[in-house]
Amino acid sequence: MGYQWNFAPVFEHADALLYGAVGTLRIFAICLVLGLSFGLVVGLMRYSRRRLLNWPATAFVEFFRNTPVLVQILWFYFALPMLVPFEISPLMAAALGISLNSAAFSAEIFRGGIQSIEPGQWEASRALGMTGLQAMRRIILPQAIRRMLPALTNRAIEIFKMSTLASAVAYVELLQQGKLIASLNFNPIEVYTVIALAFFLFLYPLVRATYALERQMARSDSGGD
Amino acid sequence: MYRWDFAPVLANADLLLQGLVNTLAVTGTALAFGIPLGLALALARLSGRRLLAWPAGFVIEFFRTTPPLVQLFWFFFALPVLIRVEMTPFMASALTFSIQSSAFFAEVFRGGIVSVERGQWEASRALGMTPSQSMRRIILPQAVKRMIPAFMERAIELMKTTTLVAIVSYADLLYQANEIAQKTFRPLEVFTVVAGIYFVVILMISLLARRLERRLAVSGESTVH
Repeated sequence: MGYQWNFAPVFEHADALLYGAVGTLRIFAICLVLGLSFGLVVGLMRYSRRRLLNWPATAFVEFFRNTPVLVQILWFYFALPMLVPFEISPLMAAALGISLNSAAFSAEIFRGGIQSIEPGQWEASRALGMTGLQAMRRIILPQAIRRMLPALTNRAIEIFKMSTLASAVAYVELLQQGKLIASLNFNPIEVYTVIALAFFLFLYPLVRATYALERQMARSDSGGD
Repeated sequence: MYRWDFAPVLANADLLLQGLVNTLAVTGTALAFGIPLGLALALARLSGRRLLAWPAGFVIEFFRTTPPLVQLFWFFFALPVLIRVEMTPFMASALTFSIQSSAFFAEVFRGGIVSVERGQWEASRALGMTPSQSMRRIILPQAVKRMIPAFMERAIELMKTTTLVAIVSYADLLYQANEIAQKTFRPLEVFTVVAGIYFVVILMISLLARRLERRLAVSGESTVH
């Protein structure tokens, strides 16, 4: 033992870490919005009985769920530029990989949530003269989203954790900044400890909130139905 | 128009195979340590003794909430400074993913154990078994059978997460892909083939898991609805 912990050099670079944290939040926000909205589209396509919609959506979901997200990011960063006539920035590659991966996972959440709504709700909205699209938007989705909320917040937490993979293509986020500081000051132990704690302190309240949501759902489901 | 040429990839097939073997080795090692450790953590968390339950709960929550890449960096770059051991990429990877997966397996075990009806505990007590006997002989065997689907899902997640070891230059499949891509200037073909290999391997395991799930669902022992 006898290692002298010294956090001072880490805090001297607090501005660099803060800059990294902004990068983390930026890519998280991009991937959350793109991933969940595209996931909803794919989920609806998966739910559809039309083969022309269902089949490509299924292939997409299976492919992106069954390959590692880091492979997807590196593919977009190193392989895609061979096919397209423009530069792929680290942010683009990482955001594409993480968003599409999250879309595939959230598509299954959306599909499951929509399927969990009783057929009676569809019949009732049809009886009121709504079209299929109207029923989906006004009756089914609002109920389904409430049920899916715990699974969706879980997805959001996963996206946040995945954002660290962007450092593999040198996108400037918290971990990437940590790497730089650690190599400048030879203090990996303090830097990575601070970063691990930062992630934990930021995400743990979200995790607790998800637990609370799950419990509340379980209670209202057993009481309400 | 880009002209695809897979010959350089095929010429390096032996490296890819070696990479796949290493991927499976780190996954297997993490499973071999992660499952027993996960069981121990779950039992500690359920023990009712605060001195055991609280630290176990903390380990589980911490490793589930922080990004695996941050953990890997901590074990690879920081831990050797603290305990003065030479850390090989394999050791750091195996250590990180054993502990990381054990946190997830612990929750799978806990879910399975909690799902066993109270009456089973009461019945085994009535037969004169001690709590540890009833856990071992009555509860766990039933719980384990129910946990298999969740457990397979976790194992697949683990295999996908092991791609992160490439970042600390452990020669797994993704690392080899990167090497070959740089050597042959054929990133598109290399990363496409490697994504395909991951897809095929993981899809096969997923399909196997789904079949197992369906069989368990038929015999009424699955926790998956």
